[in-house]
Amino acid sequence: MYKIFTIIFAKILNIFLKIIGKNGGNVIGKIALKINPNILSKFKVNSRVIAVTATNGKTSTNNCIRYTLEKAGFSVVSNSEGNNMETGILSTLLKNCTLTGKIKSDYICFEVDESYVPKIFKDFKLDTLVVLNFFRDQLDRNGEVETLILKINDFLKNYNGNLVLNSDDPNVSRLSRANPNNNNIYFFSCDKYKYATKKIKEAGEGKFCPFCKTKLEYEYYQYSHIGKFRCPNCHYGENEIYKLAYNIDLKNKKFDVDGITCETTGNSIYHIYNNLAVICVCAIYNIETEIVINSLKTFSLNNGRLEELNIKDCPTLINLAKNPTGANVSLRILNEDDSEKNLLFVLNDNIADGFDVSWIWDINFNDLKNVNRIITSGTRAYDIAIRVKTAGFDSKKIYPFINLDEAVKKLYETKNKKYVIANYTALQPTRKEIINYSKK
Amino acid sequence: MEKKLNILYLYPDILELYGDYGNIQVLKYRLEKRNYKCNIERYSIEDNPPDFTKYDLVFAGGGADIEQDILSKDLIKYKDNIKEAIKYGVFFLLICGAYQLFGKYYKDADGTIINGLNIFPYYTEAINDRTKRCIGNIVIEATLNNQKEKIIGFENHGGQTSDVFSPFGTVLYGNGNKFGDKYEGFFLENVIGTYLHGPLLSKNPSLADYIIKYCLDRKYNENTELEKLDDTFENLCREQLLNRFKK
Repeated sequence: MYKIFTIIFAKILNIFLKIIGKNGGNVIGKIALKINPNILSKFKVNSRVIAVTATNGKTSTNNCIRYTLEKAGFSVVSNSEGNNMETGILSTLLKNCTLTGKIKSDYICFEVDESYVPKIFKDFKLDTLVVLNFFRDQLDRNGEVETLILKINDFLKNYNGNLVLNSDDPNVSRLSRANPNNNNIYFFSCDKYKYATKKIKEAGEGKFCPFCKTKLEYEYYQYSHIGKFRCPNCHYGENEIYKLAYNIDLKNKKFDVDGITCETTGNSIYHIYNNLAVICVCAIYNIETEIVINSLKTFSLNNGRLEELNIKDCPTLINLAKNPTGANVSLRILNEDDSEKNLLFVLNDNIADGFDVSWIWDINFNDLKNVNRIITSGTRAYDIAIRVKTAGFDSKKIYPFINLDEAVKKLYETKNKKYVIANYTALQPTRKEIINYSKK
Repeated sequence: MEKKLNILYLYPDILELYGDYGNIQVLKYRLEKRNYKCNIERYSIEDNPPDFTKYDLVFAGGGADIEQDILSKDLIKYKDNIKEAIKYGVFFLLICGAYQLFGKYYKDADGTIINGLNIFPYYTEAINDRTKRCIGNIVIEATLNNQKEKIIGFENHGGQTSDVFSPFGTVLYGNGNKFGDKYEGFFLENVIGTYLHGPLLSKNPSLADYIIKYCLDRKYNENTELEKLDDTFENLCREQLLNRFKK
């Protein structure tokens, strides 16, 4: 009875929030948890449950899985808007269940914040867990990366479902050993791409073997610490690969898997990794290859993640960067592009961003290719201006504005191509400001 | 003759959690803008042993607990050499984990003791509760060359450091050596140990110049007049942040 009461209350709340024009992404779950702390264990779920977790790429990957499954004709419940903590996931379930707590969709797809995986799936069934990567991210909020990995590793000790892992991230690949009795491990990997390097180019985490503490050896780095690694002592890293992407051609947005060429919508190596995770999941659930290929070709989020816009004849690429790796991959795309460019970097230090902005010093701003002006904005506009200046960029060509509309105006004073990088709370306001500017 | 500073950067691959390398970049930038040369040498585990007395400045940053243990065992091999270098007047800039390592010991949240170099008499103990850390923006007031300077940074440490006989500064905003402490860091003429990252020198050009001047004066036995640099961004940044934290 208690359960039904909670669900009815949540549904009424949802209707009320809709009337006043609010989305209720987290609120519904928050209140439901207050009324009934065990509510998560009370749902009746017959759907197949897929979860994606990572530092970077959760939203894109999860939404692409949802999109593909829907293209294949399945019904899917998903937290597509990115509310990925316990309250957000609970809100999604409450909005989509019957009064008795039944979820009737074929699939449930969640993106889950790394630190919430154990908590949510302690009481909620999980069929497939996808883990993309672990990078340093908001250390003042999340703590050290290692603590986070150990938490998930502990959870996996008793998990027997499908585990889809990035074989090229030593911090992810190690999770395959959490439960030696789990035979449902699926590794994905990307073959060396054009801009892979012999030495690490950006801040990374995977330095020592997690099992024997020996320094890991890398044949190459794709980006950050993602690459072809192995432990010279205990051979950690020699995985049997389930899906491998090769012939990666970012310029033409193409790569091959199992002898089939896939076209995609993003021109970044991390985007290929995300795509490959989608391919793995779809293969596990026997989704027709044709449908998957079509979906990768057409899927785009259009919410400031690798989003391409044309603003008053200036091609503009907007990308989110919440942490050094996110920013570094954006700068990779910029440096892999030969045209003349301007960069706008918007940096906030609100609570959801983390208050600590020292991570910008882990961004590799050296040798920016054909960038003739950098505009900075956000509550920490000056911090990023100092950062860029110290990296050797001419300070006369750096324009800091706390105020976003002044920054956007300055950005479009010239006609070159624009690259826009914004952190978490800065992304949507920046995107909005740019779109508004195009209408002026 | 071209003047040059030699910097030894300790464990760059391990102590690099909070963009601490930025401190080296700022020093290099401010030296090269004034036509001094800046030579950076790196040392990490398994490299050839460095002679600390040969450098003008030694820098080390902060790392994770697990890594702290690995490198404390390595660093202790150089204890006598480091002591000698400090006595000679080589400048040591030690952030967070490195600051702790130069004291007596670091006791982590599980009670495990990591031995320090025991060069300075302070010691650090983490609170049992791992979730409790001193985290946030911090402003302290330090005295550099008889001038009071506000130093801005960010602190993130579980360790509580006690028995500091000569702190770096008094806390104006934030925590300091312990929760709600009056003092932050450790300071001798040629040693700064501090929890401030951000990185520290990026927002505090006067501190960067204090270190540069100290090193040049010592090396070339002169009273260096440092050329003024364009610190517009730094000043705007400081002004904005100090206004925010004043409340």
